[in-house]
Amino acid sequence: MLEQERKYFETHRAVWLNQYAGKFVLVKGEQLVGVFNTQQEALAEGARRFGTESFLVRQVDESEHLIYIPALTLGILRADSTHPV
Amino acid sequence: MPILHIQFSGQATTPQGQLVQVPPAIILLRQGPCVQVSIGLAQSIANQLLQQGKTLPKPISGTALIDTGATSTCIDDAAAQRLRLPVVNVVRVASASHASTEQNVYPIQIEVVGLPISIEAPGAIGAALAPQGLLALIGRDVLQHCTLFYNGITGEITLSV
Repeated sequence: MLEQERKYFETHRAVWLNQYAGKFVLVKGEQLVGVFNTQQEALAEGARRFGTESFLVRQVDESEHLIYIPALTLGILRADSTHPV
Repeated sequence: MPILHIQFSGQATTPQGQLVQVPPAIILLRQGPCVQVSIGLAQSIANQLLQQGKTLPKPISGTALIDTGATSTCIDDAAAQRLRLPVVNVVRVASASHASTEQNVYPIQIEVVGLPISIEAPGAIGAALAPQGLLALIGRDVLQHCTLFYNGITGEITLSV
Protein backbone atom coordinates (compact mmCIF):
# COMPACT_ATOMS: atom_id res chain seq x y z
CA MET A 1 0.00 0.00 0.00
CA LEU A 2 1.20 3.56 -0.79
CA GLU A 3 4.30 2.06 -2.42
CA GLN A 4 4.79 4.94 -4.86
CA GLU A 5 4.38 7.54 -2.12
CA ARG A 6 6.74 5.76 0.29
CA LYS A 7 9.39 5.40 -2.38
CA TYR A 8 9.05 9.09 -3.22
CA PHE A 9 9.36 9.96 0.48
CA GLU A 10 12.52 7.88 0.92
CA THR A 11 14.08 9.39 -2.19
CA HIS A 12 13.52 12.90 -0.85
CA ARG A 13 13.94 12.32 2.88
CA ALA A 14 17.50 13.70 3.06
CA VAL A 15 16.60 16.89 1.22
CA TRP A 16 13.39 17.38 3.18
CA LEU A 17 15.27 16.88 6.46
CA ASN A 18 17.18 20.06 5.73
CA GLN A 19 14.04 22.01 4.89
CA TYR A 20 11.17 20.48 6.85
CA ALA A 21 12.61 18.56 9.82
CA GLY A 22 9.86 17.66 12.29
CA LYS A 23 7.05 18.75 9.98
CA PHE A 24 4.45 16.56 8.30
CA VAL A 25 4.47 16.08 4.55
CA LEU A 26 1.46 15.14 2.44
CA VAL A 27 2.40 13.04 -0.58
CA LYS A 28 0.17 11.68 -3.34
CA GLY A 29 1.73 9.66 -6.13
CA GLU A 30 5.05 11.30 -6.91
CA GLN A 31 4.04 14.73 -5.74
CA LEU A 32 4.67 16.64 -2.55
CA VAL A 33 1.26 18.20 -2.00
CA GLY A 34 2.12 20.21 1.10
CA VAL A 35 4.08 20.59 4.33
CA PHE A 36 2.26 21.06 7.65
CA ASN A 37 3.05 21.71 11.29
CA THR A 38 0.63 19.06 12.57
CA GLN A 39 -0.55 15.64 11.45
CA GLN A 40 -4.18 16.81 11.71
CA GLU A 41 -3.58 19.69 9.30
CA ALA A 42 -1.97 17.33 6.79
CA LEU A 43 -4.84 14.82 7.12
CA ALA A 44 -7.45 17.56 6.65
CA GLU A 45 -5.77 18.81 3.48
CA GLY A 46 -5.44 15.24 2.20
CA ALA A 47 -9.15 14.63 2.77
CA ARG A 48 -10.06 17.96 1.16
CA ARG A 49 -8.15 17.05 -1.99
CA PHE A 50 -8.52 13.29 -2.18
CA GLY A 51 -11.58 12.40 -0.10
CA THR A 52 -11.30 8.84 1.21
CA GLU A 53 -8.60 7.84 -1.29
CA SER A 54 -5.34 6.82 0.33
CA PHE A 55 -2.53 9.36 0.63
CA LEU A 56 0.70 9.49 2.63
CA VAL A 57 1.11 11.69 5.69
CA ARG A 58 4.48 11.23 7.36
CA GLN A 59 6.69 13.22 9.70
CA VAL A 60 10.07 14.18 8.28
CA ASP A 61 12.43 12.39 10.69
CA GLU A 62 15.95 11.05 10.70
CA SER A 63 14.76 7.47 10.56
CA GLU A 64 11.70 5.29 10.49
CA HIS A 65 10.19 4.57 13.91
CA LEU A 66 9.61 0.96 14.82
CA ILE A 67 6.28 0.27 16.52
CA TYR A 68 6.05 -2.17 19.44
CA ILE A 69 2.81 -4.03 20.15
CA PRO A 70 4.11 -7.09 22.03
CA ALA A 71 0.76 -8.69 22.86
CA LEU A 72 -0.20 -8.61 19.21
CA THR A 73 3.09 -9.57 17.59
CA LEU A 74 3.77 -12.34 20.08
CA GLY A 75 0.25 -13.66 19.61
CA ILE A 76 -0.46 -13.55 23.34
CA LEU A 77 -3.45 -11.23 23.44
CA ARG A 78 -5.51 -13.83 25.26
CA ALA A 79 -2.74 -15.94 26.73
CA ASP A 80 -3.61 -17.54 30.06
CA SER A 81 -0.77 -19.37 31.77
CA THR A 82 -3.03 -20.38 34.65
CA HIS A 83 -5.11 -22.57 32.34
CA PRO A 84 -2.72 -24.72 30.29
CA VAL A 85 -4.18 -26.87 27.52
CA MET B 1 -12.27 16.02 33.70
CA PRO B 2 -14.59 13.21 32.49
CA ILE B 3 -14.07 9.99 34.42
CA LEU B 4 -15.08 6.44 33.52
CA HIS B 5 -15.12 3.95 36.35
CA ILE B 6 -15.70 0.26 35.68
CA GLN B 7 -16.00 -2.62 38.09
CA PHE B 8 -15.92 -5.79 36.02
CA SER B 9 -18.56 -8.43 36.57
CA GLY B 10 -19.51 -11.76 35.09
CA GLN B 11 -20.95 -15.19 35.68
CA ALA B 12 -19.69 -18.70 35.12
CA THR B 13 -21.17 -22.18 35.22
CA THR B 14 -19.75 -24.70 37.69
CA PRO B 15 -19.08 -28.33 36.61
CA GLN B 16 -22.37 -29.09 38.37
CA GLY B 17 -24.20 -26.69 36.03
CA GLN B 18 -24.76 -24.04 38.65
CA LEU B 19 -24.54 -20.37 37.61
CA VAL B 20 -22.26 -18.44 39.96
CA GLN B 21 -21.01 -14.88 40.18
CA VAL B 22 -17.30 -14.52 39.39
CA PRO B 23 -15.32 -12.06 41.53
CA PRO B 24 -14.49 -8.79 39.68
CA ALA B 25 -10.75 -9.34 40.21
CA ILE B 26 -10.95 -12.65 38.32
CA ILE B 27 -12.90 -11.10 35.44
CA LEU B 28 -10.33 -8.30 35.13
CA LEU B 29 -7.53 -10.87 35.27
CA ARG B 30 -9.09 -12.95 32.47
CA GLN B 31 -10.42 -10.22 30.16
CA GLY B 32 -7.95 -7.43 30.80
CA PRO B 33 -8.95 -3.78 31.05
CA CYS B 34 -11.57 -3.69 28.31
CA VAL B 35 -13.90 -0.81 27.48
CA GLN B 36 -16.73 -0.45 24.99
CA VAL B 37 -15.88 1.93 22.17
CA SER B 38 -17.34 3.39 19.02
CA ILE B 39 -14.84 4.05 16.23
CA GLY B 40 -15.28 6.34 13.28
CA LEU B 41 -13.32 8.50 10.89
CA ALA B 42 -10.91 11.03 12.45
CA GLN B 43 -12.54 14.42 12.94
CA SER B 44 -9.97 16.25 10.82
CA ILE B 45 -10.99 14.12 7.83
CA ALA B 46 -14.70 13.86 8.66
CA ASN B 47 -15.05 17.66 8.71
CA GLN B 48 -13.63 17.94 5.20
CA LEU B 49 -15.88 15.22 3.82
CA LEU B 50 -18.96 16.82 5.40
CA GLN B 51 -18.04 20.17 3.82
CA GLN B 52 -17.98 18.39 0.46
CA GLY B 53 -21.46 17.01 1.10
CA LYS B 54 -20.27 13.44 1.43
CA THR B 55 -21.89 11.03 3.84
CA LEU B 56 -19.74 9.61 6.58
CA PRO B 57 -19.57 5.90 7.30
CA LYS B 58 -21.46 4.91 10.42
CA PRO B 59 -19.14 4.32 13.38
CA ILE B 60 -18.54 0.72 14.43
CA SER B 61 -18.96 -0.36 18.04
CA GLY B 62 -17.06 -3.06 19.87
CA THR B 63 -14.62 -3.93 22.61
CA ALA B 64 -11.23 -2.29 23.01
CA LEU B 65 -8.46 -3.59 25.25
CA ILE B 66 -6.32 -0.97 26.99
CA ASP B 67 -2.77 -2.10 26.22
CA THR B 68 -0.04 -0.12 27.98
CA GLY B 69 2.54 -2.27 26.18
CA ALA B 70 1.50 -0.98 22.75
CA THR B 71 3.23 2.05 21.32
CA SER B 72 0.29 2.77 19.11
CA THR B 73 -3.45 2.22 19.03
CA CYS B 74 -4.67 -0.53 16.69
CA ILE B 75 -7.93 -1.07 14.87
CA ASP B 76 -9.20 -4.31 13.40
CA ASP B 77 -8.22 -4.28 9.72
CA ALA B 78 -11.58 -5.60 8.51
CA ALA B 79 -13.42 -2.92 10.51
CA ALA B 80 -11.17 -0.23 9.03
CA GLN B 81 -12.12 -1.43 5.56
CA ARG B 82 -15.83 -1.48 6.43
CA LEU B 83 -15.47 2.12 7.60
CA ARG B 84 -13.80 2.93 4.25
CA LEU B 85 -10.92 4.57 6.11
CA PRO B 86 -8.13 5.91 3.91
CA VAL B 87 -4.67 4.45 4.42
CA VAL B 88 -2.44 7.40 5.37
CA ASN B 89 0.82 5.65 6.19
CA VAL B 90 2.50 2.27 6.41
CA VAL B 91 4.65 1.44 9.44
CA ARG B 92 6.93 -1.36 10.54
CA VAL B 93 5.75 -3.30 13.57
CA ALA B 94 8.48 -5.07 15.53
CA SER B 95 8.17 -8.76 16.17
CA ALA B 96 10.16 -11.03 18.45
CA SER B 97 9.62 -14.15 16.39
CA HIS B 98 10.12 -12.95 12.81
CA ALA B 99 11.07 -9.94 10.72
CA SER B 100 9.13 -6.75 11.33
CA THR B 101 5.90 -6.53 9.37
CA GLU B 102 4.40 -3.65 7.42
CA GLN B 103 0.96 -2.56 8.57
CA ASN B 104 -1.45 0.04 7.23
CA VAL B 105 -2.19 3.15 9.28
CA TYR B 106 -5.68 4.67 9.51
CA PRO B 107 -6.90 7.98 10.97
CA ILE B 108 -9.60 7.19 13.50
CA GLN B 109 -11.59 8.72 16.28
CA ILE B 110 -12.46 6.71 19.37
CA GLU B 111 -15.43 7.38 21.57
CA VAL B 112 -15.24 5.46 24.82
CA VAL B 113 -18.77 4.56 25.89
CA GLY B 114 -19.39 6.34 29.19
CA LEU B 115 -17.03 9.22 28.47
CA PRO B 116 -18.58 12.32 26.89
CA ILE B 117 -15.61 13.09 24.65
CA SER B 118 -13.87 11.56 21.67
CA ILE B 119 -10.16 10.92 21.29
CA GLU B 120 -8.45 11.23 17.94
CA ALA B 121 -5.90 8.57 16.98
CA PRO B 122 -4.60 9.80 13.61
CA GLY B 123 -2.14 6.92 13.32
CA ALA B 124 -4.06 3.78 14.29
CA ILE B 125 -2.46 0.59 13.01
CA GLY B 126 -4.49 -2.03 11.20
CA ALA B 127 -4.28 -5.54 12.68
CA ALA B 128 -6.33 -8.71 12.70
CA LEU B 129 -8.05 -8.21 16.06
CA ALA B 130 -11.53 -9.57 15.33
CA PRO B 131 -10.48 -13.22 15.90
CA GLN B 132 -9.63 -12.14 19.47
CA GLY B 133 -13.07 -10.58 19.89
CA LEU B 134 -11.58 -7.09 19.80
CA LEU B 135 -12.26 -4.03 17.69
CA ALA B 136 -9.26 -2.08 18.96
CA LEU B 137 -6.23 -1.94 21.21
CA ILE B 138 -5.86 1.38 22.98
CA GLY B 139 -2.15 2.14 23.01
CA ARG B 140 0.10 4.73 24.56
CA ASP B 141 -0.55 7.29 21.80
CA VAL B 142 -4.07 7.64 23.21
CA LEU B 143 -3.14 6.93 26.83
CA GLN B 144 -0.74 9.88 26.81
CA HIS B 145 -3.88 12.03 27.09
CA CYS B 146 -5.41 9.94 29.89
CA THR B 147 -5.05 8.95 33.50
CA LEU B 148 -5.53 5.25 34.10
CA PHE B 149 -5.89 3.48 37.45
CA TYR B 150 -5.81 -0.31 37.39
CA ASN B 151 -6.97 -1.92 40.61
CA GLY B 152 -6.34 -5.61 40.22
CA ILE B 153 -7.37 -6.32 43.81
CA THR B 154 -10.91 -5.00 43.47
CA GLY B 155 -11.27 -5.70 39.74
CA GLU B 156 -11.78 -2.05 38.81
CA ILE B 157 -10.31 0.43 36.39
CA THR B 158 -10.71 4.19 36.23
CA LEU B 159 -10.02 6.07 33.03
CA SER B 160 -10.12 9.82 32.75
CA VAL B 161 -9.40 12.03 29.78
